[in-house]
Amino acid sequence: MKCPICKKTTVWEGNPDRPFCSERCRIIDLGNWSAEDYRVETALPDTEEKAEIPHE
Amino acid sequence: MNKTLEEALEKENQVAANSKEYGAESITVLEGLEAVRLRPAMYIGSTSELGLHHLVYEIVDNSVDEALAGYCDRVDVIIHIDNSITVIDNGRGIPVDIHKQQKVSAAQVVLTILHAGGKFDSNSYKVSGGLHGVGVSVVNFLSETLRLEIWRDGNTYEQEYVRGLPQYPLKQTGKTKKRGTKITFKPDHEIFEVTEFNFDTLSQRLREKAFLNSGIRITITDERNEKAHEFFYKGGIAEFVKHLNRNKTVLHSQPIAFSKDDDALSIDIAIQYNDAYNEIVHSFANNINTVDGGTHLTGFRAALTSTINNYAKTAGLFKKDDEKLAPEDVREGLVAVVSVKLPQPQFEGQTKGKLNSDVKGQVQSFVNENLGRYFEENPAVAKKIIAKAIDAARAREAARKARDLTRRKGALDSASLPGKLADCSEKDPALCELFIVEGDSAGGSAKQGRDRRTQAILPLKGKILNVEKARYDKMLSHSEIRTMITALGTGIGKNDFDIAKLRYHRIILMCDADVDGSHIRTLLLTFFYRQMPELIERGHIYIAQPPLFKVKKGRSEQYMNNETELAKFLMKKATENISVKIQATGFEYKGADLRKALEKLADLNGYLDKLERRLHDRKLAEAMIEGFAGTQGALSARESLKLHEVFEKEELLQKVTAALETAGYETVLEVDEEHGTFEIAVTRSRNNGRTLIDWELATHVEFQKAVQLYGDLKDFSHPPFLIQDNGNSVIVESRDALLEHTMGAARKDLSIQRYKGLGEMNPEQLWETTLQPEKRVILNVQINDAVETDEMFTVLMGDAVEPRRKFIEDNALDVKNLDI
Repeated sequence: MKCPICKKTTVWEGNPDRPFCSERCRIIDLGNWSAEDYRVETALPDTEEKAEIPHE
Repeated sequence: MNKTLEEALEKENQVAANSKEYGAESITVLEGLEAVRLRPAMYIGSTSELGLHHLVYEIVDNSVDEALAGYCDRVDVIIHIDNSITVIDNGRGIPVDIHKQQKVSAAQVVLTILHAGGKFDSNSYKVSGGLHGVGVSVVNFLSETLRLEIWRDGNTYEQEYVRGLPQYPLKQTGKTKKRGTKITFKPDHEIFEVTEFNFDTLSQRLREKAFLNSGIRITITDERNEKAHEFFYKGGIAEFVKHLNRNKTVLHSQPIAFSKDDDALSIDIAIQYNDAYNEIVHSFANNINTVDGGTHLTGFRAALTSTINNYAKTAGLFKKDDEKLAPEDVREGLVAVVSVKLPQPQFEGQTKGKLNSDVKGQVQSFVNENLGRYFEENPAVAKKIIAKAIDAARAREAARKARDLTRRKGALDSASLPGKLADCSEKDPALCELFIVEGDSAGGSAKQGRDRRTQAILPLKGKILNVEKARYDKMLSHSEIRTMITALGTGIGKNDFDIAKLRYHRIILMCDADVDGSHIRTLLLTFFYRQMPELIERGHIYIAQPPLFKVKKGRSEQYMNNETELAKFLMKKATENISVKIQATGFEYKGADLRKALEKLADLNGYLDKLERRLHDRKLAEAMIEGFAGTQGALSARESLKLHEVFEKEELLQKVTAALETAGYETVLEVDEEHGTFEIAVTRSRNNGRTLIDWELATHVEFQKAVQLYGDLKDFSHPPFLIQDNGNSVIVESRDALLEHTMGAARKDLSIQRYKGLGEMNPEQLWETTLQPEKRVILNVQINDAVETDEMFTVLMGDAVEPRRKFIEDNALDVKNLDI
C-alpha cells in the first residue's frame, strides 16, 4: 500500500503510523484536516442557502 | 607549580633515589592522586560505563596528538581477557630524561602529575585534544595497575604503577629498533561500577578518530572474543559523512566538503543530505567530540540557514516573496561533520562537551563563502537540498495547524461535551452507540426518534464554501472535526489517542443516499481510516442503511432499501392476480412462472439497453438478437450450437443477415481476419457509417445474456399477448407493452415515495427503519472498504478531472453487508 501523503510504499502490519509511512506524514494529513484543505466539489446549493455561504 | 606539589615531588625523588619501596606516606603527599580518586567523576565525567571508556580515549588521544604533530601514524588498541587495555603507538615515545624541576623521569611526571602532559607546555603541540585535558595521570590514578613501556632512541624503558604509585623509577631494560609508547592499564574495580569494556563503543569512537585524522591507522582487537577492526580513512571527514549515510538514500552522491588549514584556526566541514527527516551532525574541536556543540556548531548552523535562504531567494525557488526557511527546516536529512582545530581550546559544561572559544564568526563566514560558491557551481544539488527544506517547512506548518486539533485545552476533554451532541444515559461504552447524522433536520428527527438510553446523536453539517464563481466545495469544518473527536472521547494524535477512552463502541455514520451524502461519508470514513485506524480495525465503525423508498398501500407501509428491492417487490405484486396468454401458441403464464418470465423480460430489456449504447441503434440490437436467438435464428439450426460456431460458418451467419434485412438493414458478409471468422457489416440507413457484428461484439456479457434470455423467452417474441386481470382482458402488441402494462397495474394502488434525504423522515419513521436495533440494517466497515474509500477520496481530491467525474457519476461506496 501507499502512504496517502507522500505516496511512498508502506505497510499496515506493525506500523504505528498506518496507513502513513511516518509520524510526519500523519501530522501533515491531520494539519490538512485542521486547515479544511480536504474538499469535494458539491452541487450548487439552493438559492436560499447560497446567501449564507461564505466566499473564499 | 604550587608549593605542595613541589614538595611532594621532591620527597618522591628522595624516596626514589633511595630505591625504597613506596609507602603510605607517599600517598598522603600526592594530592592530585587523592583528589582524583576521591572525586573521579570530576575528572572523567562518571564512574559508570562512560567514564570507564573515557580512560581509553584519554590514552588514545595522546597518541593522536602525536600523530597531529606528524610523528605517529598508527595506534593499536587491545582489550585483554581481564578487561585491561593496551594502547600502542609508533610516536616518538614519552620523553625519558630526568625532568629538571621534578628530578624524576619526564615520563613519571606525565603519569603522576595532573595536567603535566606534553601539552602542558604550550609549545610542544600546536594543537592538542586530550580528553578534557586531564592527562594520562588520571588514567594512572584510577587504574589498579599500569605498565608503561617506551621505545626511544634505540632503548626500551619500563615502569609499573599500582593505583597511581610508581613501583620503581623508570628503568632502561633493553635495546630495540622500535619507536613509540605502550601503556597497559587495568581500571580499578574499587573506583568503577562497571569494569567491562564494550567493543562496539570503543570501535565507534576509534573510527571517529580515524575519520578526523586522515592518514592515521587505528586498530582495535578484542582478545576476549577475537573481534578486530582496522580504521584508516584517506578521505577524512567527507568519508565520515559517507559512512554515516551508508544505509541511507542520499540527495547528492558526493559530500559537500571544504577545509582550511591555518595555524590560528583549521576548519573542516563535510555535508551530505539524505531523504530522512532527522539530522546527524557531529562536531569536534581538536578531535574532541563536542557533544553539546558550541561556537563552531553555532557558526556552521547560522551559515547553513542563511546560505540556503539566500540561494533559494536569488534562484527564485520560493513561491511567495516572504517565504523563509527556518533553521530546523534546513536540518532535516542533514548529515554533517564540523571539525575545528585551534590552539588552547576553551570548553565548558559538566562533561566539557561544548566549545567556548570565540570562533563562531570565523566558521560562519567560512561556510557562507564556500557553501555559497558550491551552490553557484552545483545548482542541481542546491535545488534538491532546497526542495527538501521547503518540504520540511510545509510539514512544520501542517504540524502547527494539526496542533489546533490535538491540543486538549478544555474543549477536547470529555468533561465538556459539545452542545450539539445529544448524549445517551448509559455509561458503559460497550452498550453505547453514536450516530453521526448528516444535516441538522435529520439530526433533529434522530434526536427525537432514538432510544435515549443507549443512542447518542451528533448532527454534522458539511461546510460549504463558494470557491469560484459557480463552484462550491464541501468539507468537514475544523470545528466539526473537533466536536467529533470530543464526542468520541479518544483524543487524537500519536500521544493523545487512547482507544480505551472511546465512549461508544458503535459509531454509525448516517448520510443521505445522494451524491452529497456519499461525499460526506467518504470524508468521514477517510478521516477515521487515516487518523483513527484502530476504530476501523476493531470494528467500531458502521454505516446506517436508511431506506430509499417507502411503499404505501392503503394503511400499510413498507420500506425498500434500494432499487432492486423495489423492483422485486413490484414484480411480485404485478403477477399476483393476472395471467398472460400467448395468442399464437395459446400457452398461458401465471403465478411464479409468469413472475420469472417477466423478471427475465425486464433483465433482457436492461441488456438490450446496453447493446443499444454500443450500436447506437435499438432496432438494430433487437433485430440482431432475433437473428441469433429467434425461432428462425442461427442458434436454432441445431442442438447445443456454440455462439462461436455461428461466426465460423457463412451459412449460419446468413440466418442473422436475413433477420437484419427483414428489419430493413443492408448487410455484407465479410471475413474477420483478426479472429479467423466471418463478420457482418451493417450499412445503416441513416448515415453511411458501418456497424460490425463480429466475434468481438459477441464476447460482451450483454450480448451473450441477451441471446440467452431471448432464447428462453421465445414465446414472448410473438405478440400479441392477452392479459387477464380479475376478469378484465387487455391485448398488448409487444414485449415492452406487456411489461409496461403489468408493472403499471402493480403500481396503480400504491404510493411510492423516494426519500431524497434523511430529513424527509419523521422521528418515528427514522426509528422504525434506521435506528431500531432489531429491524435496521447497518454495515460494518472493514479496513478493505476503508482502503477503497481512501482511494476514492484521493481521486476526489486529485487534479485529474476525468476520474473525479467518473467517481461522482458512479457515486458508489460499496461496503459488504456484514452485519445485521
